[in-house]
Amino acid sequence: MSTTQSEGGKPKLSVRRIRKSFRLNTVLKDINLDIYPGNVVALIGGNGAGKSTLMKIIMGIYKQDDGDIAIDGEKADLANPAAALARGIYLVPQEPMLFPNMTVEENITIGFTENKADLRRRLTDLTAQMNWRVDLTRKAVSLSIAEQQLVEILRGLLRNSRILILDEPTSALTFDEVESLFRIVADLRDKGISIIYITHRLAEVFRIATHVAIMRDGSITLQGPVGNFTRDDLVRGLLPPDAQQRERAERRPPPARTGKPVFSLRGYSGYGFADIDLDVYPGEIVGLAGVVGAGRTELATTIFGRDIVRGGSVVLDGEDITGLSTRAVIDKGVNYVPEDRFLNGIFKISDVAANTSAACLRRLPGLFLPRREEKSLAQRFVDGFRIRVTGLDQPLGSLSGGNQQKVVIGRALSTNPKFIILDEPTRGIDAAARGDVYAIINELKEKGVAILLISSDMEEIVELSDRAVTMYHGRINRRFEKADISQDNLMAAAFGAAV
Amino acid sequence: MGELKRIVPLRELTSVGFVVAIFLLVGMVNPNFLSAQNIMLCLNGSVVFIMLSVGIAFVIISGEIDVSVGATLGLAATVSATMIRDDMPWSLAVAAAVLVGLMVGLLNGVGVVAFKVPSIIMTLGTNGIVRGLCYVYSSGKWVENLPFGYKSLSQATLTGRPGSISWFFFATAVVTLLVYIYQTHTNRGRHFYAVGDNEGGATLIGIPVGRTRIIAFVLCGVFASLAGLMYVSRIGFVTPVAGMGYEMKAIAACVLGGVSLSGGIGSVIGAAMGAIIMASIGRILVFMQFSSNYDNTITGILLITIVVADALLQRRAAERARRTLLTAKTAITPEEGLP
Amino acid sequence: MKGWAKYLVRWEVFLLLLLLAEILVFGHLNPRFLRPRVLLGSINDFTSICVVSLFVTFVLVTGGMDIQAGAIVGLASIGMGLLWKDCGLDIWTAAAIAIVAGGLCGMLSGFFVAYTGVQPMVVTLGGSFLYSGIAIAVTHLSSTESYKGISGFPRAFTAFSKYRFWGIIPSQMFIFIALLVVSYIILHRTRYGRAVFLCGVNPAAAEFCGINTRRVIMSTYVLSGASAAVAGIILTSYLGTAKADFGKELTLPIITAVVLGGTSNLGGRGGVIGTALAALVIGVMRFGLSMNGVTTQYHDIPVGVLLIVAVGCRTFMDNPSLARLVRRGWLAKT
Repeated sequence: MSTTQSEGGKPKLSVRRIRKSFRLNTVLKDINLDIYPGNVVALIGGNGAGKSTLMKIIMGIYKQDDGDIAIDGEKADLANPAAALARGIYLVPQEPMLFPNMTVEENITIGFTENKADLRRRLTDLTAQMNWRVDLTRKAVSLSIAEQQLVEILRGLLRNSRILILDEPTSALTFDEVESLFRIVADLRDKGISIIYITHRLAEVFRIATHVAIMRDGSITLQGPVGNFTRDDLVRGLLPPDAQQRERAERRPPPARTGKPVFSLRGYSGYGFADIDLDVYPGEIVGLAGVVGAGRTELATTIFGRDIVRGGSVVLDGEDITGLSTRAVIDKGVNYVPEDRFLNGIFKISDVAANTSAACLRRLPGLFLPRREEKSLAQRFVDGFRIRVTGLDQPLGSLSGGNQQKVVIGRALSTNPKFIILDEPTRGIDAAARGDVYAIINELKEKGVAILLISSDMEEIVELSDRAVTMYHGRINRRFEKADISQDNLMAAAFGAAV
Repeated sequence: MGELKRIVPLRELTSVGFVVAIFLLVGMVNPNFLSAQNIMLCLNGSVVFIMLSVGIAFVIISGEIDVSVGATLGLAATVSATMIRDDMPWSLAVAAAVLVGLMVGLLNGVGVVAFKVPSIIMTLGTNGIVRGLCYVYSSGKWVENLPFGYKSLSQATLTGRPGSISWFFFATAVVTLLVYIYQTHTNRGRHFYAVGDNEGGATLIGIPVGRTRIIAFVLCGVFASLAGLMYVSRIGFVTPVAGMGYEMKAIAACVLGGVSLSGGIGSVIGAAMGAIIMASIGRILVFMQFSSNYDNTITGILLITIVVADALLQRRAAERARRTLLTAKTAITPEEGLP
Repeated sequence: MKGWAKYLVRWEVFLLLLLLAEILVFGHLNPRFLRPRVLLGSINDFTSICVVSLFVTFVLVTGGMDIQAGAIVGLASIGMGLLWKDCGLDIWTAAAIAIVAGGLCGMLSGFFVAYTGVQPMVVTLGGSFLYSGIAIAVTHLSSTESYKGISGFPRAFTAFSKYRFWGIIPSQMFIFIALLVVSYIILHRTRYGRAVFLCGVNPAAAEFCGINTRRVIMSTYVLSGASAAVAGIILTSYLGTAKADFGKELTLPIITAVVLGGTSNLGGRGGVIGTALAALVIGVMRFGLSMNGVTTQYHDIPVGVLLIVAVGCRTFMDNPSLARLVRRGWLAKT
């Protein structure tokens, strides 16, 4: 590698004493960060740690309350995205922001003022140089997420950006796509591009980053070259200073599987999954692991009546419920907590009471909507789940992620399901709320509800499940009894590694 | 073919083909329809709608809607016709009309962009206001007795003989083509598409979203006032209700021509084709020996059928793509094998 | 943040104050305006706006848009006239058929909106062409000349809308209040009404709650179509004539009433009380202007200004950063 990686010269990007607050809420406290050419700085932190606010300030979308940003040692005023772009900063957002109805070429070249022929030549040079194959005439709408990210990166490079910000680039990628992304990042690093790489996954830090910075509660708690840290150091940096080791639920012996399973799938096939055989007994938690895109959510939503069944059967308590509508499935005693809370879970501007009662409106007594029963139902869950609200008339959108999730779980439970599917129940919520959700799940289990727990967090599956299966390419590829469940086993199977 | 497709994308070819098909179809029922003279009448008669539709296409492509163009046309027509009647210089009248469109468009744009009023509400409001101003300006009276010279402008043809392409149509066609090139082949022009296609993405790459939208509304207003000038020349007098309901027809024309109301899809060529159909429906019905009383009925059926068909086709394609993708994921690859 | 329900209550109070202010101003300009008979009777001039906007509120709450209701008003009017005059049906039967037909017209558009995913604006634009077109076409089927419209209805029919209870309260006021109560109960007090709101806030989440969002969305267009037919019948009765172009100019005031009443066209928020008050505000304004010698053609100017200013202020104050700026200014002053 070249000398550009040495730290002797001026930092490419230097952030000094950045502060930012929204109303009374301080989001960033005195952030200092230097990035040199050829550095890949992994920026890690939980939800709400302030990573995206910091990036938005660097991108000129927000204005900092205090502090300076310097590029090549020179103070920069990044008042808007155009200014940031002009200074060579480019953000590849988590969900690529392409123009779906334009071709790849149009997507990359839009916003330039230079002439088209020159642009095209530079673009082909660039792709050749990077050794990337892209069909420039395809419409963006037909690209996979990985291809879209590639287009975003090309867009940034064509603008001669020297600072690339990648926001959780691997969150929607398959295994192979992740590998090729890593190759690209390594390529760019060797070419002296500075990269801020935002991620949730510690393993990635050691794979591709040269430096690491951990953010928590609006401050950087730890930063430096990756070589200086171990995985445990990073974990410690992420935890609040007074955190005790989260106590592991003592491993109860699995409940004796008595009688018949309450829920069974036989040769169940649909779009995105095939030939699924699965039994869930009353009072049992079955973990379903797998990478994003393995067909887990498609399986769950198809059971829930949201897509066409292509074969096989679903049996609940001896009754065939294959292919019923969502409403009928709920009536039979199944419910589902969706993976994407914002898209499919919450009614953002409706109040807590309306959100809780939404799935069981028809079960409330009376000719008209019984406000009192609705309130008492909601109050029951607010008290039982320790949901922090100012009142039942608070709009759900103003609650924290964890509290929103508890409301959504409460809604699913309001229909008294015999079998419940929890799809990523703790994604994007803080540690305290996570503990509460675990307590709720364990309580349900004790009440004899059968639970299918879908999660990408292997630790979660290990902690909660009585049995576990992994899905790979739409099929169940391994089954584990309680004693065999370990993060390593699950991870290996989820990535389809030979067993 | 490939090269042709690259220059004129499929969607535009479809809309041109659609017009040709309709004309041929009517021609099969009544060959007189395809006489050169009649086709010229259809084309020359559509200039006002083409101008309106091209203007409104700016707004729709950038993801908004404008239902005030009918009133804008009316006010521009009233103001300019009054000046022409009172023997003021034509250039002054034209400038006044353009100023009217500019102001209305600016008002719409600022309301939508700066005050965040939803465009349908904003323009519904300005439509009422501007229509009211037509009455105020004209005191509710017709503007008549316009000089013959101005009225004859619309009759002037390229060859000088009646029954051939009028200068108005020629100018409109040239303007439409120029706008098309501007929107699809220049950097600034592409901004309208970008803003309508993905507002967030446009912001991120530094496109001034708000300014682009305001410009779209202003251009829409200006095109409406140009349509008003042509209207005055063609009709020869102006009533306070001139252009009432034209906004709906212009939107319908855009939709017929493949401009999607969700923004970012379609082009002014399509919009112009749609306008030709909208302007010719009455004539088509007469040649098909229907009463022109069915004008609106046919427009409604045509509009609903086309948008519904388009939506269903697109949805089916998207659904099929999703299904294929998901099915492919479950396919067992030999080297992996499965337990 | 006390929730938007309380915010809306405030908005409705504001509308009420606006209404009172209008009455005072117009009363001051022309004391005759304040005579109970005149003031109460003013509703006869705009019942159709009130009635239709109540149910168009449902459509907007689901996040839809309805610009075809005006066309259905005309179609219902001419349709019932034709059924009575040329088909020889009893006038009340004809009216009932008109209401059903109005509902079916709404259902057709609602079906396309809910099941094909075409933007509601486009579908109802097509619907407004289609239904006004059918109304015109139907007119020409009649033996009567079209521009005159159909008249000569039985006395009982033309009298019902002109009747005044106790010699003072117009029957149309009662119709309006009755429909307001009905629509209030449906939208704010039933499970169906709750489903309408949930569909507007987040249709995907509503589907996951087992709500058939397509059916709910379609049904709101049925309601608005049927209410447009009711408005057409009242107009026919009150004016004694059935015409195809009744309702031609109702689109602006209807949408204005709904939006001014606090219902967002993005869906999920609003209510019929606000709509009713806003419809009265608009109606009384038009009536008051007429009484003070302003001809009807000018009325769209204040209505349009009111619409833009009201919505502009509301969205402005809803936007936290802008609202904060304003509040800071306030604090600085005081």
